[in-house]
Amino acid sequence: MSVNLASIGISGIFAAESEIAAAESNISNASNPNYSAESVNLSANPSFNGAGAGVQVLGTVRAEAPYLSTQINSAQSSDSYSQAFSQTTTVAQQILAPSSGDDLSAALQNMFNAFTNLSASPQDATVRSSAIAALTQFAQVDQGLSSNLSATANNQLSQVGTLVSQINQASSQIAQLNQQIVAIKATGQTGAALEDQRDGLVNQLAGLVGASADSQGNVTVGGVPLVSGSSALVLSTTGSGPTLGLQVSLPNGNIPVNPGQVGGTLGGLLSAATSVLQLRSDVNGLASSVAGALNTQASSGYGLDGSTGTALFTVTAGGPIAINPALTEQNLGASATAAGVPGDGSNATALAAIANNQSLFPSIPNSTPIQAFSAISGNFGTLVQNAGNSQQQASASLQSLTQLKGSITGVSLNDQLTQLIQYQNMLEASGRAVQAANDITTFLVQNIN
Amino acid sequence: MAVPDLSLFNSLAFALDGTTSNLQQVQTQLATGKKVSQPSDDPNAYAAAQILNAQSSAVSNDILLAQQVQAQLGTADNELSNVTDSINSAISIATQGADGSTNTSEMATLGSQVQSILQQVLGAANSQYGGSHLFAGNQVSAAPYDSSGNYTGDTGNNSVTFSNGTKVQTNFDGQSIFGDSASGIIGTLTSLAGALSSGNKAAVAAALPQLQTGLSALASTRGTLGINLSSVTSLVNDSNNQSTTLQASISNLVDVNIPQAAAQEQEALLQQQALVSLASNLGKIPLVNILA
Repeated sequence: MSVNLASIGISGIFAAESEIAAAESNISNASNPNYSAESVNLSANPSFNGAGAGVQVLGTVRAEAPYLSTQINSAQSSDSYSQAFSQTTTVAQQILAPSSGDDLSAALQNMFNAFTNLSASPQDATVRSSAIAALTQFAQVDQGLSSNLSATANNQLSQVGTLVSQINQASSQIAQLNQQIVAIKATGQTGAALEDQRDGLVNQLAGLVGASADSQGNVTVGGVPLVSGSSALVLSTTGSGPTLGLQVSLPNGNIPVNPGQVGGTLGGLLSAATSVLQLRSDVNGLASSVAGALNTQASSGYGLDGSTGTALFTVTAGGPIAINPALTEQNLGASATAAGVPGDGSNATALAAIANNQSLFPSIPNSTPIQAFSAISGNFGTLVQNAGNSQQQASASLQSLTQLKGSITGVSLNDQLTQLIQYQNMLEASGRAVQAANDITTFLVQNIN
Repeated sequence: MAVPDLSLFNSLAFALDGTTSNLQQVQTQLATGKKVSQPSDDPNAYAAAQILNAQSSAVSNDILLAQQVQAQLGTADNELSNVTDSINSAISIATQGADGSTNTSEMATLGSQVQSILQQVLGAANSQYGGSHLFAGNQVSAAPYDSSGNYTGDTGNNSVTFSNGTKVQTNFDGQSIFGDSASGIIGTLTSLAGALSSGNKAAVAAALPQLQTGLSALASTRGTLGINLSSVTSLVNDSNNQSTTLQASISNLVDVNIPQAAAQEQEALLQQQALVSLASNLGKIPLVNILA
């Protein structure tokens, strides 16, 4: 009996030490966001005669919440996507609607005002000069918008290469971890630390590209594999600028990744760049339509020098517009007839009336040029606003899910300290049991003698 | 359910971020006075304000241009008024010249006076505003009459159309108002001066009804001009009212409600203070501090 008593006490000491070790690990990792709380799996030793036979340590297990982990990765993807999209489109919005108020609508109205003034004083050199200044300003605002929006989009696209490198690096690390986890589990040991590390990398990939992973660490993006067991597949870019695409290299060929199914920061950047380039196209389209209509009208007019047919702008497909370098104060066609020069300003009146033309921009029907531009501004504002709201929702969702998962896998210091007291008591009690067994053995040996 | 310490701090940081963001937003509104300063603040309000701003710009331009047109038409009317006075003087002189008691010498003196009136009328007919000849038709860059009363302008006229569609004529065909060396007011004054100088009483008498006709033509032109002036004056008044209304509408769309924003700022500040206080006490909560 005394020998059993000692072994029971010793098994309790081992169990308590394991529990204390787990608690210490938990406490020291309390601030590690990728750490899952560990606990010791215990089992009662089988008894031979109905009495207790002590406890055995089956191993250390990590707390898991696989469903929540999947949800968190999805929320992380949405959060990163929204953040990247929101930041980029906010920059584009500041270009579209500068706080100074000197936007395209102000330039448009300033130009139409100049035509009205020109119609009143078509012979006046100062008024003609002001009109050309207003035309130049309109062209320059369009050029500034076009080049700055283009630069914003290209700046985002230039980050894709770095992101793809980070994604490939994380994929490679996950593949290595997959291999190590399989190997360590085959020896019967726990792979908790490695699994924590892998979970962190999967979460990182979710944030970078919207990847998802199964319990074995196989990672996919938009249905295309990135990590398959111990193999990492290489993600790469195709094309450049607006035609930039993504593909995954497989042994038997490359699989394109649908940009619409890419999440995370990369998806947000690609989507934002597309939206910014579309905005640039819309703005240039509007400016070109207005410039085209003005050119047609101006070309039918007569300048102070009696010339006719002088266009105000040069319009190129895709924009932006530019002031016609041949335009001068003298050949600006304010008069409707050669005989009307210099006092007739009726062609300038017709130019000013284009401000009320509601059919210049078919994609925004029944709108004057300024109404069309305000619709473009409003639509883009809605896009930015929705992106900001989405980011807030995704961020709140991520926070909520992380907290929920933390309640399962996180470390509560209060909890751990309480348990630590319990394990210390268990260790002390087990030590006392061993001491008691030793005392009994000593007593028996002395009395037998 | 145990609350992990990391979650506790993360939640607090998240809440503080949110409150600080709200506080920054409302403080920016208070500093700028604008609740809508970029499209995403309120896309519909921003777009509407953009259109109203363009209208306001057009109306402001209308006001300045209308004031210029007002001055231009005022100058024209003033010149026509002077011409009316001159014609009335010419009628008095012609009446005196046609009188049987006026001798040849006196008629010659009267002829000199008419000649002077003729020059005044020619001066009025060649009057300018801002470098533009008012009675030259579209040939506004050059004086429409030479010293002999020959008309070198044309029959064109120019109009300005304001943003509300109001159309106002700004240049006039001088020939239809003043005639030329052979017709109309100028032609009549020319022949009257000649008749007085030559002592031709019959010709002097014949000029009188022509001068009356000229007066009627002047009155008619001034009537039209008066309508235009009245139209421009109304436009200026309406535009000023419209400008005020537009600014009020824009303000309603984009300006911040100061008392409301100030209350929101107080609320956000209180929330922030409460969270900061909680954060400072959070470190004292764990059991480790109690057990120590």
